[in-house]
Amino acid sequence: MTLLLVIAVAVGFYKAWNIGANDVANGMGTVVGAGTLTLRQAILLASVFEFLGAFLVGSHVTETIKGGILPMSSFVGNARVFGMGMLSVALASAIWLNIATLMSRPVSVTQATIGGIIGFSLVSAVGGPHCVQWSRLGTIAISWVLSPLTGAVAAYIVYRCVVRWVLQSRHPVYMAKMAVPFGYAATFSILFLSATYKGLPKLDLGLPLYQCLAVTLPIAAVIYLVARWIIHIRTQRERVRLKDRYQVVEQWFGWLQVMTACYMSFAHGANDVASAIGPLAGSMHAFSGQPLSSHASVSPWLMAFGGAGIVIGLATMGYKVIATVGKRITEITPTRGFSAEFATASTVLVCSKLGLPISTTFVMVGAIVGVGFARGIAALDMRVVRQILSSWVVTMPISAILSAGLYWALMSIPW
Amino acid sequence: MDLTGLFGKSPFEPMIEHAKKVHECVALVRPITDAVLAGDINRLNELQHQMSKTEFEADQIKDHIRQALPNRYFLPVNREDMAQFLSQMDRIADDAEDYAVVATFRRLTIPPDWHGDFLAMVDKVVEVSNSLLTLAEHLGQLQKQSFVGPEADEVLLKIQQIAHMEWESDKLSRKFARRYYGQPAVDPVTIILLDKLCRSLAGIADHAENVGKNLRLMILRK
Repeated sequence: MTLLLVIAVAVGFYKAWNIGANDVANGMGTVVGAGTLTLRQAILLASVFEFLGAFLVGSHVTETIKGGILPMSSFVGNARVFGMGMLSVALASAIWLNIATLMSRPVSVTQATIGGIIGFSLVSAVGGPHCVQWSRLGTIAISWVLSPLTGAVAAYIVYRCVVRWVLQSRHPVYMAKMAVPFGYAATFSILFLSATYKGLPKLDLGLPLYQCLAVTLPIAAVIYLVARWIIHIRTQRERVRLKDRYQVVEQWFGWLQVMTACYMSFAHGANDVASAIGPLAGSMHAFSGQPLSSHASVSPWLMAFGGAGIVIGLATMGYKVIATVGKRITEITPTRGFSAEFATASTVLVCSKLGLPISTTFVMVGAIVGVGFARGIAALDMRVVRQILSSWVVTMPISAILSAGLYWALMSIPW
Repeated sequence: MDLTGLFGKSPFEPMIEHAKKVHECVALVRPITDAVLAGDINRLNELQHQMSKTEFEADQIKDHIRQALPNRYFLPVNREDMAQFLSQMDRIADDAEDYAVVATFRRLTIPPDWHGDFLAMVDKVVEVSNSLLTLAEHLGQLQKQSFVGPEADEVLLKIQQIAHMEWESDKLSRKFARRYYGQPAVDPVTIILLDKLCRSLAGIADHAENVGKNLRLMILRK
């Protein structure tokens, strides 16, 4: 059993490392590309916020994967089956993720995990088709369709607002100075809400929504005023020539984009670390001989462990990806990056709160399309959009078959 | 997973390249006219050769843009407006090349008192094309700003100015036409060739105006 425990930890780490090496690049890449942050700063910020997101908000999604699709009740007394199953899920999704990365195919960690869970439960002795909560799976599938749409609509609206109130105005620099503090306040209040409202499992504040709002709104107002004041101080003597107007606006939004890129990392940590760590948590639970229950919450240490895996992935390989993404996506100017990232992170965070395991990548793709429809992108390759959005149709069965095979192999070894 | 695949190759930067090449063609019109007036056949042939080379290069850029613009690309401007923009630009280069070719047909003797009107018209047409180039150079920036804002307003204003300049060049063309048609006892073939030259010049100005209109549609529509 100890050996299995070690393997489970190794697999979970491998998966988190994979996520860190690949997924985080999209948010931070554009900030580095725009020259707002250096690569080192970007990695530091991404690490901190990934970690915080996983640690503070992540547990909701983990619960869903463990308990939502497979009812725990069917595994009572069969801890070994459950542990082996979750181990094969983690391994299968990590392998598929790695293969897809090598083939530079876009896949989602979350979707691979869910596919793996279904695969193993279909072949396991105590499982079978009747065991899978198909209606729950239906809800998740619908959320996979709806979440990119939500991201697209949100990004469209945010970018149109930026265009309408800032870029199109007679005094774009002045309007940018008004809009940037507003963006900070909005980002902070959503972050703060997500942490206080049903968040922070260790603190367990248990505040109702209106109380959270009552705390959040004044804080947002203060942040707005402080940001406004700082900008005022810093630009008092600055005179902007007409020719440089646009660049100055983008510069201001560049600072806002740093914020939203952190926000993205936070949301990504909350959503994806959880789906990486979920199966690991399940198998560790089972192997360490604790009684199985559907409400066994994931220990914060495990989430921290997942977060650490991501950070190491970032530090060992992710930085290269960030640099390439930054160089290649020059299309994403700070105003657009802000719109897409703000929309993505908000959508992902709300879905995490609802316990829906959605794909950050999907929502990001949706948000970029949204910006494109608001005339923000020179040439959007719709074929790639379709490819990415339809990739889950392939990912689910493949990771299901992989995890079923691994489960069979693991069970046939006399440990 | 990295999302760089989502972003297709922007057609706007090559469009600026194309506009520059096209203006290179039109800029040759003035030296050609000087050679015509000086009766320097060798220089004319040399310039005509240079013109056809430049026009060919412009064509290559245009074909390249069209090929690199598959239907699966979602663009921030209407695809038809963009195609029209390109083809009108292309016709400017074609007309400039026509001008160069017609100028080499035979050695023209043009009375010295016509030179002023002729050159005035040529200069006006080159000026129209030059203004068009400064407009087209805004394309990249316009795209970055999502076709709104002060810069877009400025471009829209300049499009009006180009239309006005086209009208001025028309007036100059008519004035010159009255001169060469109204003069008795001039070699008829010279008149025919001068008329052809003037038509090419008018074509350049016309198409430049049309490019402006297409740019306006690209900015306003969608």
